[in-house]
Amino acid sequence: LAAVLGISGLYHDAAAALVVDGRVLAAIHEERLDRVKHSSALPVRAARACLELGALDAGALDAIVFYEEPFPKFERLLSWLIKTFPRAPSYFARSIRAELARKLWLLDELAETFGVPREKVRAVEHHRSHAASAFFVSPFEEAAVLTVDGVGERTTTAIWHGQGTRLSPRFSLEFPHSLGLFYAALTAYAGFEVLEGELKLMALAAYGSPKYTSELSRVLRLGADGDFSLEPRYFDAFTDSELGFGPELVRLLGAPRAPDTPWNLAGNPDDRRYADVARSAQLLTEEALLALARRAKREVGGDALCLAGGVALNAAANARLAAESGFSRIFVQPAAGDAGGALGAALLGALELGDPRPPALVSPALGQPLDAGRGADLAARCGFAASQQARPYERAAEILARGGLVALASGRGEWGPRALGHRSLLAPAHDARLRDALNRRVKNREIFRPFAPSALHQNSDRLFDHVGADMTPFMTTVCRARDAALPELSGVVHVDGTSRLHSVTPERAPALAQILAEYERRTGYRALLNTSLNGAREPIAGSETDAIAFFASHRAVDALLLDDVLVERRPS
Amino acid sequence: VSGVLGKILRRTKSSLALIRYFLTPDRFFMVPLVVVLLLAGALFAAGTGLSHVAPFVYTLF
Repeated sequence: LAAVLGISGLYHDAAAALVVDGRVLAAIHEERLDRVKHSSALPVRAARACLELGALDAGALDAIVFYEEPFPKFERLLSWLIKTFPRAPSYFARSIRAELARKLWLLDELAETFGVPREKVRAVEHHRSHAASAFFVSPFEEAAVLTVDGVGERTTTAIWHGQGTRLSPRFSLEFPHSLGLFYAALTAYAGFEVLEGELKLMALAAYGSPKYTSELSRVLRLGADGDFSLEPRYFDAFTDSELGFGPELVRLLGAPRAPDTPWNLAGNPDDRRYADVARSAQLLTEEALLALARRAKREVGGDALCLAGGVALNAAANARLAAESGFSRIFVQPAAGDAGGALGAALLGALELGDPRPPALVSPALGQPLDAGRGADLAARCGFAASQQARPYERAAEILARGGLVALASGRGEWGPRALGHRSLLAPAHDARLRDALNRRVKNREIFRPFAPSALHQNSDRLFDHVGADMTPFMTTVCRARDAALPELSGVVHVDGTSRLHSVTPERAPALAQILAEYERRTGYRALLNTSLNGAREPIAGSETDAIAFFASHRAVDALLLDDVLVERRPS
Repeated sequence: VSGVLGKILRRTKSSLALIRYFLTPDRFFMVPLVVVLLLAGALFAAGTGLSHVAPFVYTLF
């Protein structure tokens, strides 16, 4: 039996994961500790936090596994730079400097940082890490696995056959033909930040019509049997910037949207055009993914599909795959993006050392724990009323029942970018005006972005169609709201009639499950609005200090529940 | 000193591993570029880490 640390980092969404004796003990995003959203650091803080949770010294590790192989990635960079020479001067300078200064020697640096012999540090292939992160914690003994992202070393898309403790490659596509890069370029075109705004583009798509499908079909050409290609001339990404669109795409679609300008979908024809572009990009992406899933079904067979890679966070596409791919069960683990590579790398290292496969992932609470007592002291010092409650969930439900906002920080933080009842901000789901107030006073999101509902698993089927049990616990798909339930879901249904449902069980989110039950008993409503515990452009809260800082800086939030400690504002 | 020497030794080993990685028929044409980049990187590292070497590095370029 072994102790293995998995690491992903130095690009975006850095994270660490610890697997000991075949069990996932911890998985932590660096951003929750260094407070830099989508942190691109080497996740030393997260790794040390994982080791602390596992009560291990780094010296006791049997292996440290990095989620990507440095040399093949360097080779891809060099060959592309030669191919595009001399059109990529700044990309060349930037990427070669980063490789020579650090990335090529990363495995040495990991050995030095953690004080372990260099022989214990190794790297695994990027897409294999993704595939492992999904399949080995899935509930399936055998499944097809589809990994889709921007690019790893060279691979952008891959189909795998997962059986027990093995992953066998079946199909792959290589850079520059990438759904992730396609979606990133359109994200940038619509004025959103790449690696942050992809979900905004997905939300915007619901407001548009697929009027630009024909134009975008020249950019992303769908071939037979899951194959596709990108036309490089539309992408600046391949010459002078890492991710982005080029002048040819502007000629094709019109002027790009200026970042950080207010949206007016009702009155501004240009904004409606961007929504149409978003809808067209989303549609083409879904068609490409569907073709890949159907190929996976043909290549591997079976009823189960696992998805991973950044594109697997596209919940609307996942819902179409669930409905149309032919697979009856689809699993997407909550950290499907690059952070998840740390988990996959750790699992691959552990399996190679002879450990068994871990049990299926039940709870996403793999992050850092809270110290509610310390939080109570800090809250009192900040001038808040902090009291330990015998029935904390009843008090939280009471505040919600009278239309209040409750911040919930409970147990260990979530693994993945979604708030799943451990670092959540809760509000009544039935009132669209409350949703708008929450957005205006706390979240400051673009007005077209929806909020998600949480509902007890036993109520989910009564509120939504086609809920399923594999993706809704981790908010990685969308479900259509039932007509009869619409009055109690006014604040959490998107313009297309769907919601990114979080179905809650006591094993997965014990505090939220109790609050939902008590809220239903008091009001008859079966869902709550659940958004992440963070302000605009901040990472989700990690520690009790982060939660109190959030509460202190957002006066619209009525109370903060830190495990069993209720923090409220004193009457002024 | 042993820490610095150990670090240099590990980087040297990794550099040799990198060159070995490129010593295959389909990657062979990139070896000269890799070697030049590694030498430039070494000079850059020396220039950054040891300020008294910097004037010689500037003269070289």
